[in-house]
Amino acid sequence: MSIVLFSPPSSSSHLPSLSPYSSKPTHTLKPSLSLKPKKTLFSLSSIKPTSDNVATFVESEKKLEADESAAESNGSVPAAVEAVVETKFEDPRWVNGTWDLNQFQKDGKTNWDAVIDAEVRRRKWFEDNPESSSNDNPIVFDTSIIPWWAWMKRFHLPEAELLNGRAAMIGFFMAYLVDSLTGVGLVDQMGNFFCKTLLFVTVVGVLLIRKNEDIETLKKLLEETTFYDKQWLATWQDEGPKSD
Amino acid sequence: MASLAINTHLSTTKSDHKTTVNHRRSLKSFVGLCQTSPETTNSLSLTTPLAKTRPGQNRTRRPVIVAAKSSPIVTGRNLRVAVIGGGPAGGSAAETLAKGGIETFLIERKLDNCKPCGGAIPLCMVGEFDLPLDIIDRKVTKMKMISPSNVAVDIGKTLKPHEYIGMVRREVLDAYLRERAAKAGATIINGLFLKMDIPESLNSPYKIHFTSYDNKTGGTGIKQTLEVDAIIGADGANSRVAKSIGAGDYEYAIAFQERIKIPDAKMTYYEDLAEMYVGSDVSPDFYGWVFPKCDHVAVGTGTVTNKGDIKKLQTATRLRAKDKILGGRIIRVEAHPIPEHPRPRRCAGRVALVGDAAGYVTKCSGEGIYFAAKSGRMCAEAIVEGSENGKRMVEESDLRKYLQLWDKTYWPTYKVLDVLQKVFYRSNPAREAFVEMCADEYVQKMTFDSYLYKRVVPGNPLDDLKLAFNTIGSLVRANALMREMDKLSV
Repeated sequence: MSIVLFSPPSSSSHLPSLSPYSSKPTHTLKPSLSLKPKKTLFSLSSIKPTSDNVATFVESEKKLEADESAAESNGSVPAAVEAVVETKFEDPRWVNGTWDLNQFQKDGKTNWDAVIDAEVRRRKWFEDNPESSSNDNPIVFDTSIIPWWAWMKRFHLPEAELLNGRAAMIGFFMAYLVDSLTGVGLVDQMGNFFCKTLLFVTVVGVLLIRKNEDIETLKKLLEETTFYDKQWLATWQDEGPKSD
Repeated sequence: MASLAINTHLSTTKSDHKTTVNHRRSLKSFVGLCQTSPETTNSLSLTTPLAKTRPGQNRTRRPVIVAAKSSPIVTGRNLRVAVIGGGPAGGSAAETLAKGGIETFLIERKLDNCKPCGGAIPLCMVGEFDLPLDIIDRKVTKMKMISPSNVAVDIGKTLKPHEYIGMVRREVLDAYLRERAAKAGATIINGLFLKMDIPESLNSPYKIHFTSYDNKTGGTGIKQTLEVDAIIGADGANSRVAKSIGAGDYEYAIAFQERIKIPDAKMTYYEDLAEMYVGSDVSPDFYGWVFPKCDHVAVGTGTVTNKGDIKKLQTATRLRAKDKILGGRIIRVEAHPIPEHPRPRRCAGRVALVGDAAGYVTKCSGEGIYFAAKSGRMCAEAIVEGSENGKRMVEESDLRKYLQLWDKTYWPTYKVLDVLQKVFYRSNPAREAFVEMCADEYVQKMTFDSYLYKRVVPGNPLDDLKLAFNTIGSLVRANALMREMDKLSV
């Protein structure tokens, strides 16, 4: 009663797939899985315009389309198909399991934004098409080789601008409102303890609550931090004098 | 008192939380607990106050021992204790009881049971339980962590030559521990526990109903009863003893595993190496693994929240390991539940739960064998001490002492692993950061030290600070990349 793994089953790959696991002819395969390859084909073609090096993607797409049409013309299930069409992640700048920084040069310096873009695309590819991890081509890329200022410039600064803008708007409006209601000017407001508290609440609020959903998220996070402790202490909740 | 404030907070917020805890008592009883045993409330804090209470602990323990000493002497015979379940927890409990001079009965339903299990034991278990080296099939000294985007990191560089993770076959380990218990004087009964009769009066015995399979091959066994004074429930995740005492339920994960016999050439790669695959394709809240066994590998995965998808997750795990297990043949498929947290009640009357029955499996790594054996031993030691080697009757307070000691000793370990799981198994970017962090030597050293010796060793504070900095950096980078990824898919 042993199941032979990965030897070509009879009704294999009439649907050459980008995600190899959907080629298994199990009955548990939901229709959505077999639709996936087509969807990812489309998403690849949408990535096309934005990427610099499209050669490999286009080639692999063409190969897939050719295979698909050939198989469809076959009609019914072919007998033992030896080669399962599989596309692995390929990119000319991806060398030996890491990004070759020499290929990312622009004006004599490394174009870190392009490295980040390439890594994002690679992770997206792997998320949609999980691949087998191989010992011959181990992946050793570490995101810490990208310098901290590249991350700052690309991710932190735009968000900081947004949040500071929000805080400034709220600050100006509240200062005006308080002044018009109480007559206390901005400098005098800063000396008042209640106003300082309001300022603190505003800053914390702007930092933590970026979207409406964040309020619920924060509440859940707080609950989560003590949930495990409560589960452990449960046994002590009903300790007390008992006669057994 | 700060601890009083913590207690107030806990008991008031508990009521609006969906747990299965019996919230019958008001704040008063918790305060009462606080006064008799301050060390339990201190178990909440992970900092040094734990050390400070140790001298205090002896002083406050005295009154509780005196209470047991006032319980009646058991005349004409030794204390009788039944251990239900003959796994690591039951075996070590029975051995400790028998060595302590107590009349022990070990009831196990299947003496040749091959419990589906990862089978990894830490180094300290070999020393603490005097395990002979020949029950260890393999000594794993290298591990590979593989991220969702297949970034592979090798860990194990910091291990010293004598350090390893032992891989055992459960049937071998369990049989050895049971045999040692029998040699120490315990009576091994091949039977299935059915139910127990809780005694009406204070010191009357418990009556256990079980089906005995002794000297029977197949067919139904004979219904028998046994009268004992105390019971240790070591019957695993679906514990019947727990049900009998109304211990409550816990959340559990399903671990699904396939044993695959791979060609010898591929087996040499797994000679002393185990792999861990993380990713939402492999498991949304746990990890997939390839563990080497005696002559084959076990490929599996687990999940708490998506139990229905377990087959899909297993297929994904096999896919990720495909290159390395190509040409393999599945020889066995197995699944088992893994508790996620302790049951609400681990002790009632003179019945205590240990091991998986109590829910002593760590988060993040899902390790249970060592904690099962250790808790069995600790509970047995508490019974031996409370009964003065079987001369006196035990009381619930003696069993509670085992719970106190357990919580105090291992609470930091469990909490740290819980925090790790919450932070690093949350999402794909968190897993990528996790694998990235594992490349750091300091992390590897801390991880292995705490796993192999079950000590939360505080390292050099400067290194800890650097580690914290790097962790936050990794998490921030990975999350930033994920937001870019989301932009791509939109």
